[in-house]
This record gives sequence, C-alpha cells and structure tokens, in this order.
Amino acid sequence: MATVTVPTSRTRTAPRLLKNRAAGKLLLLGLVTAVLLPLLHGGPWPDDLTVSLDKPLATASDWVIDNRDSHPVFLYFLGHVSNAVIWAVRAVYLALLTAGWAGVTVLGALTAWRFGGARLAAGTAAAFLACGALGMWVPTMQTLALMVVAVLASVAVGALLGLGAGLSDRLDRALRPVLDTMQVLPAFAYLLPVVLVFGIGVPAAVLATVVYAAPPMARLTALGLRGADPEVLEAVESLGATRRQRLLTARIPLARKELLLGLNQTIMMALSMAVIAAVIGAGGLGDRVYQALASVDVGAALAAGIPIVLLAVVLDRVTAAAGDGTTRPRTIGWPYAVAVTVAVALAARLLGALDWPAGWTLGIAEPVNRAVDWMTAHLYSGVPVIGGTADWAGHFTTWILDPVRDGLLWLPWWSVLLLVAALAWLIGTWRTALTAVLAMAAIGVLGVWEPSLDTLSQVLAAVAVTLVLGFATGVAAARSDRVDRALRPVLDVFQTMPQFVYLIPVVALFGVGRAPAVAAAVVYALPAVVRITAQGLRQVDQAALESARSLGATGRQQLWQVQLPLARRALLLAVNQGVVLVLAVVIIGGLVGGGALGYDVAFGLAQGDLATGLVAGAAIVCLGLMLDRVTQPTDRRPRKGA
Amino acid sequence: MTLTVPTRKPPTTTEPVFSVSGLWKVFGPKPERVPADPELSALSPAELRSRTGCTAAVRDVSFDVRKGEVFVVMGLSGSGKSTLVRCLTRLIEPTAGTISIDGEDVRAMDRARLRELRRHRAAMVFQHFGLLPHRTVLDNVAYGLEIQGVGKSERRERAAEFVAKVGLEGMEKRRPGQLSGGQRQRVGLARALAVDPEVLLFDEPFSALDPLIRRDMQDEVTRLHREEGRTMVFITHDLSEALKLGDRIALMRDGKVVQLGTPEEIVGSPADDYVREFVRDVPREQVMTVGAAMRPAFAEETATGPAVRPEATVAEAIEAVARAGTPARVMDQGKCLGVVDHEHLLGVVAGVDTTAPAAAPQAAAADGTAAAADGRATGAARAGAGDARCSKSPGEAPGTPRRATPPGPRTTPEAV
Repeated sequence: MATVTVPTSRTRTAPRLLKNRAAGKLLLLGLVTAVLLPLLHGGPWPDDLTVSLDKPLATASDWVIDNRDSHPVFLYFLGHVSNAVIWAVRAVYLALLTAGWAGVTVLGALTAWRFGGARLAAGTAAAFLACGALGMWVPTMQTLALMVVAVLASVAVGALLGLGAGLSDRLDRALRPVLDTMQVLPAFAYLLPVVLVFGIGVPAAVLATVVYAAPPMARLTALGLRGADPEVLEAVESLGATRRQRLLTARIPLARKELLLGLNQTIMMALSMAVIAAVIGAGGLGDRVYQALASVDVGAALAAGIPIVLLAVVLDRVTAAAGDGTTRPRTIGWPYAVAVTVAVALAARLLGALDWPAGWTLGIAEPVNRAVDWMTAHLYSGVPVIGGTADWAGHFTTWILDPVRDGLLWLPWWSVLLLVAALAWLIGTWRTALTAVLAMAAIGVLGVWEPSLDTLSQVLAAVAVTLVLGFATGVAAARSDRVDRALRPVLDVFQTMPQFVYLIPVVALFGVGRAPAVAAAVVYALPAVVRITAQGLRQVDQAALESARSLGATGRQQLWQVQLPLARRALLLAVNQGVVLVLAVVIIGGLVGGGALGYDVAFGLAQGDLATGLVAGAAIVCLGLMLDRVTQPTDRRPRKGA
Repeated sequence: MTLTVPTRKPPTTTEPVFSVSGLWKVFGPKPERVPADPELSALSPAELRSRTGCTAAVRDVSFDVRKGEVFVVMGLSGSGKSTLVRCLTRLIEPTAGTISIDGEDVRAMDRARLRELRRHRAAMVFQHFGLLPHRTVLDNVAYGLEIQGVGKSERRERAAEFVAKVGLEGMEKRRPGQLSGGQRQRVGLARALAVDPEVLLFDEPFSALDPLIRRDMQDEVTRLHREEGRTMVFITHDLSEALKLGDRIALMRDGKVVQLGTPEEIVGSPADDYVREFVRDVPREQVMTVGAAMRPAFAEETATGPAVRPEATVAEAIEAVARAGTPARVMDQGKCLGVVDHEHLLGVVAGVDTTAPAAAPQAAAADGTAAAADGRATGAARAGAGDARCSKSPGEAPGTPRRATPPGPRTTPEAV
C-alpha cells in the first residue's frame, strides 16, 4: 500500500507546492533587485556597459575583402567551395534552359504524376505555364536552379548529420540544442556571416540556404532512426543481423516517412531562404520581388510573387505525395518520363521554341498597379464609418506600436532584464531564464538596445494580435467540423508560402511602415497558431470530455474547465511557435519600412557596412534566443491531473 | 474401445538443448554486485530497489530445455519471463550465471559466434510480430535467409514453402499492414521457421490476438510441433495456454522460478500457496491424467470394460466410464495398469483425495529434472500425494488396501 499512498499525497500537495515555488522565485528575484537597486540607475542601457564591435568587425571585414584572392584559406578551401557552387548552379540552370519551357513543364508534370496522380500532374503543369505566362520563366528557372543545388547540398549535409545523431547518443546530445536553436532563428540572421566570408553573390546565397535548410533534414533523420519500432529492431537482431544489415534493411527503410518529411521541410525552407537571399545576390524571383518592393511597385512584385507561391505549393504537394507512403497503382516509370521529356525538349528545340514565346506573356503589373492606385485613392483613408486601411495602420502605429515601444524604452534597462528573467523562470527552468537574461544583456552590450526594443515592441504587438485571432479561430475549428474543413485548405496554402511573399499584399493594403510589417507577421504566424491550437484541443482526452459532458457541463464549461486546461501544453507550444514566426517576419519587415534591426541588416548589406549589419544580426540571434527561451515550457513541471 | 484423442505430445528425450544455471539479470546501476553479494541477492524486490536502485528481473534461475520438448515459462507481467527468454540468445546481456546450448557456453561467445547462434540455431517469434512493414509477406519470411546471405531466388523459394506451411498461400505479395493480427503472427512464425532453427523461442506470441484466433494459433503450434518435433521455449502469461502447450512448465514470480514441472505436477501438487492460488480455477479433469485416479484392478476387471491409455486425461476417462457404465481399464501396450471408476474420477475433479497417498518419495516438485521421462504414473502418484496435502487430510497410513498405483508391470500381468 505504501507505493499507492506516496503518489496520491504528492499529487495533493503539488498545486500548493507549485504556487509556493512560483512565489519563491519571484521573491528571490525581488530580493536580488533590492540589493542591487542602489547601484543601478534607470533609463535605457548605459553607455559604459556597451562594447563597441564596430571597429574590430570593420577590420575583420576589410581583412576578408583584402585577402579573399590571396589567403590560402580562401585559395584552397573557400574558393573551391565558391567555385563549385557557381559551377553547379550554372550547370543546372543551363540544363533547365536547354530543356526549354516545354521540357521542364513536361518533366514536372510527369514527376507529379508519378508520385501523386493525374490531378497533381495537371496542377503542376498549370503552375509552370502560369510562371511563363506572367513573364517570369527565366527568373523562375534561376530560382529553381539555385534551389536544386541548395536542396541537394542540404539533404546531403542534413542526412549525414542525422545519421550520426541517430546512431550515436553522444552526437545526438551535442547536436540537438544546436539544431533546436537554429530552428528558431530568423532567416535574416544567417545572411551576414556568409556575406562576410563569400561576399555578395550566388555562393553566399546557396550557402545561407544550406545552413538554413539542413537542420530539419538532420532532425527528422535522427528522429526517424531513433523512433523505429524497438520490437522490429529486436526481431532483426534476433535473426543475427550485423549492424550494417540492421541499418540498411531495417532502420533506414523504417524511417522512410520521416526522411521524406525532412526532404519536404528542407525544400520548403530552402525555397523560403532562396527568395530572401535575393538580398545577398541570389537573383531570380526573390530579386524581382525585392526590387519591386524597394520602389513600391506592387504590380511587379505580385507578378514575381505568384510564381513563388505556385512553386511552393507544387513542391510541397509533390514531396508530400511522395512521402505519403500509400502504394498507388504504378503510373509511369522513370525511364519513360525521362524519354518523354527528352523528346519534348528536342521537339521544342527543332521548332525553335525554347524560350517562352513573347506573345504569350500576360502583363499583370499594369492592371494591378491601377487597382492599387484606385485602392490608394479610395480605400486608404476617408471611407465613411470604418475608415481606410492607411488610417487603420496609422491608428495601430500611434495607439499601439508607439506606446509599447515608448513604454519599453522608458522602463529602466534592469527592469527589462528582470521581467525577462521572471517570465522565463515561471514558464521554464532557471536554465532557460539564465539563457534568456544573458541573451537580452548581450543585446545591451552590443549597443543596439534601442532598435532591439523597437523590434521587440513590434513582435509583442504582433504576437498579441496573432494569439487573440489564432486562439479564437483555433477554438472554433476544434469545436466545429465545418469550420475545420473550411479552414484546412486555406491553412495548407498559407503554411507553404515563403515569408517574403507576405510583404506584397500588406504593402498594397497599408503602404510602408511598421504597421504593415506587423500585419505581415500576423498573417504569417496565424496559420501555425490556429493549427496547433485546434489540434491540441481536439487531442484532449475524449474520456475526460465525455465524463464532463455526462455530468451536464455546458459547452462553455467544457471549453474552460476541461479542454483548455488539458490542452495547456499545446497552447504554450502555439505561443512559442507564434513568437518565433512573428519575429522572423518582423525582421524582414525592415525591408518595407519596419525599421529597427531588420533595417540595420538590410542597410548594412546595401551600403557594404558589414559591421552595422553583423551587430544587428547578432542582436537578432539574441532576441530570437530570448523570445524562444521565455516561451519555452519544460517537461520537468509536475503535470496537473496526472 | 480406445479413445483416439491424442492429448499429450510424443515423449521427449533427456538430452538438454539449453542448459541454464544460476542466471541473473539485474537492471540498474552497477548490477553485477547484486548476484555476487549473498546479502543483496537475498533481498526482496522492494528492498533491493530502495537499497541499490536495481531491479532484478531474473533471479538465480536454473533449468534445462530438453530436445524436442515444449518448455513453457509462465508468469504474470513483470515476473521476468520475457527478460529470461531474451537472455538465452543474449538479446539482453545476462548479469551472472551460465547458459549453454548443446554444451557450448553462450556467454563466452564472441560476436560472430553469437550471430551464428541467432542465425541458425535459435529463432524467435515476438508478441507484436516485429515484421518489417515495408516488405511483402514473402520478403519478410525470407528476411532471415537474406541476413544469412542466401541468394534471392533460393531464399524466395524456401520462404514460399514456409508461407504455405503456415497457411498463407496467396498472400505472398501483401504487406504486413494488410494482414490481420493472426495472419501477421503466422508470418512471424514462418520467418522463424524458415531459418530452420534448432530451437524456436516464442515471446508471448499470441497475447495480442483475439481468443478464437489465439486458439487457432495454439493448434497451429501444436501441429507444427507434432510434425517436426522441434524444441520450443514458449513464454506466456496465460495459464491455460501453458497447460495446453507445455510438456513442462516453469512458473515464475518476481524473477524466480517457483515451480518447474509437468502441467499435471503444477496443477496436482502446487509447490506453494502462490502456485495453488494460480491454478485454483483450472479444470483439473482436463489436465490430470488417469493415473491420478487409478486403483489396482481386481482380477475380474482386467479383462472387461472400456480401455483408456495412461496418458489420457481424467476428462476422457470420465467420458469413457459414463458411456460404458463400468470402470475403465488403463491399458499400456496391452497391459492393464489399473482401473479408474466413478468414485476416483470424481475425487480428482473435486480435488479430494480418494486414493491413498503413495509411499513414493515426495520429491520437491520444483525439481523438474527429477521427473522421470517415463513417469506419468510416478507423476500421478506424486499428484495424489499433493492432493492429500491440498485437501488437508493427514493422509492414510501406508499399507491401506487402496494404495496409489505403483508402476504398471507389477499389477498388470495380463494382456488384453
């Protein structure tokens, strides 16, 4: 009986203990502050606590530029990497051009047919033709060529790392925190270090893409190898398999689903990054969007943005279909597919129709710009009763963004650290709290306290809006199958689109500034929050829900007393994901007038002032770390109702 | 009239295939100190855990598995039986003790030799089947041969043979996901059989199956054993399965073997209260053989009445006696060993001793190796003795007229 009574007494005292512990943590933090208070003074981060990195960074960047053609590290290693990347991208690009638009479309359609059936094939062909019709065939092929090389490299690197982590516990322990952290960092933070080494251009773009896209492959490979059914592995071992046989005949085939999911995620992240890398010379579709946004030419941005979305949807659906695992009737073998492609490409070449025919291009930039002009004239402001979109943006800026930013800057710097510590400690452990405080302090030390708090204010505002909308929609989707069904295709498309694309519609609607950046962030983060919330609520123990219903609980009571408390972990995860995704887009918002850290990075790149950009990039990393750790729940907390 | 129901298996020889002695498996920090230290090894599981943080899954277990027999290890969940069977081929590395297969020390084997053992000499069937979901039925069955390096056409040919043997013809091209639980376990069985192992190890193979399918599979195993006479070690938590399949049963509790013996010995003379509680609801007439109810024949009885074989169960004898209305003769190769009548058969069913306790030595029932191979009658005698204890009758003095039957030849001079 002793073993029975111990856990019950523990569960009974758990809530009180928890409260006490929370109060204790706050008390301890308060004590520390009270002791240190006389030594501290208010206001923003004091100058004497900053370390200026401008000089050393400028020196380092100058040194790299001076020695890029002479130093052995560049000559014998990085130079080769750079050349190999250029060579590979060019080879793929030329191959795509040689196949011609007809050949590429046919190959794409046949591949889609092979994996997903006729409907997917038709969709793929339509998507490729649409890219051509929008006059974006060449930039699409440029982006595709860069993608192919980056994805192949990411998959190779990721699979190797994942294989190591899947087979060795030590490597897994070492790699996991690194990969976890890389996953939460905004794409923008990766740009500057590679530019420092490789300079602006295709090699830097490809390598930034590989660094950004390889982690999911590594994570999922390791996960798949580790998650194999232990009884199957035991059965394989009981038959006397060697380690090698076990890996090749059991572990890798059993991880097929995870491997293909990793491939899918890597492709999606690579596309997202390949577009953003336009800022560092990737060319292609991203560059067109970037140039168009810089001159607020929404029509041109849209003409380049639509192919990006189409490419994203097609790549996602085809790889997802490949990873589906269900066996389909064989449609077409690879040899036939290749043969048909070659035949079509040759036919196109003989007919002299390799390039997209000029007469088939649909100029959408003009009409779109006219529509945007009309919107500017009629919807931006002065619409009776509801006001205009620009009015909303202005009100949002003056009534929410400005007060939050000013409030954060008004707070004494040490109280910001204290807030971060208290939040992180209450939600997580002292470890996460320590990381968060150190990251925040590092921002101050780097001397970018004010722009970072500006970014933080945008993130906070966007997260608040995202969570209110996301939780409400998520609850609705969890409670009604009809809402869920209606939302699903929308969420599917929104989740596959690269971050960059979201800037186009918000610029059309709200102009430039901080409010549009926040709006883009909200739209980008919303699907993930809705999905996690709805899933978490739906996965609540049905027996608990049924028992509540049998006791006569109303729908509202079920939601507040059963579903939401039991889905607590999912809700915290939704907050964490929301924060990470919002940050990524708020940073990119620097390109459309969001200012703050994102602007510093873009400015540094544009002016060749790498020192400013690198410091801002480091601050982004710190901010990302801090935000992730503050919202990271841990497993160590006693679970309620256990 | 001889009943034709073949209830018990062909006789087994005494030659051991697996010989296990003093086997320990301790999980936890520094496990090797537990078997080495007599003080620690004497602790109860709870005390051991609080003192050392270790859990002893297998505690000082010794037994022999004889060639051609079905050796059942039975116990409730957590009794260490699954760990024990994994120790036999070192899927789990034992902490202490010796294991030998055909006299060869398993614990001393290097990796290559151990692989050899797993590939050719002992194959295992798992509770949740352990099939490779990405392979067809045929390729799953051929997998063991593939591991051994058998060529594709040959292994497929051999695999097809075993797929047919377990009754899955026509399903070679399906994948495990398309099969029912019973069919999947047939694949698991065929995979184990395909490598032609000396010993088949079953780890609760039918626990995940529905009762009717389970009975089919048990019959399948019985059939395979009858046809091939392969040695089997069978782990189960189901007492009726153990009694149905086992030639001998080792009953485990908290990592120890509490009793080892034939089904009849386990049911007829439980070694302690735990075993007694365990077997309380067993229909005794299905397990006990007629020997338990046998008395010496009177002269006039040796020539008339229905005949039953010595290995027939009490239930079968009841049927014979009820049909004929007279006592039945127990006949072995034309000799009458004794007779069973209404009174004695009912005594066995009721668990009340109607035969006198035998003068036969009350050897420790747990000492399974002492059970003689020809000893159904001896076993019955001991079972009778057990019954005496069971019904708390002090036992009649030796020498009363109704003695337990001594071995046949002395009382049955006549042929039928």
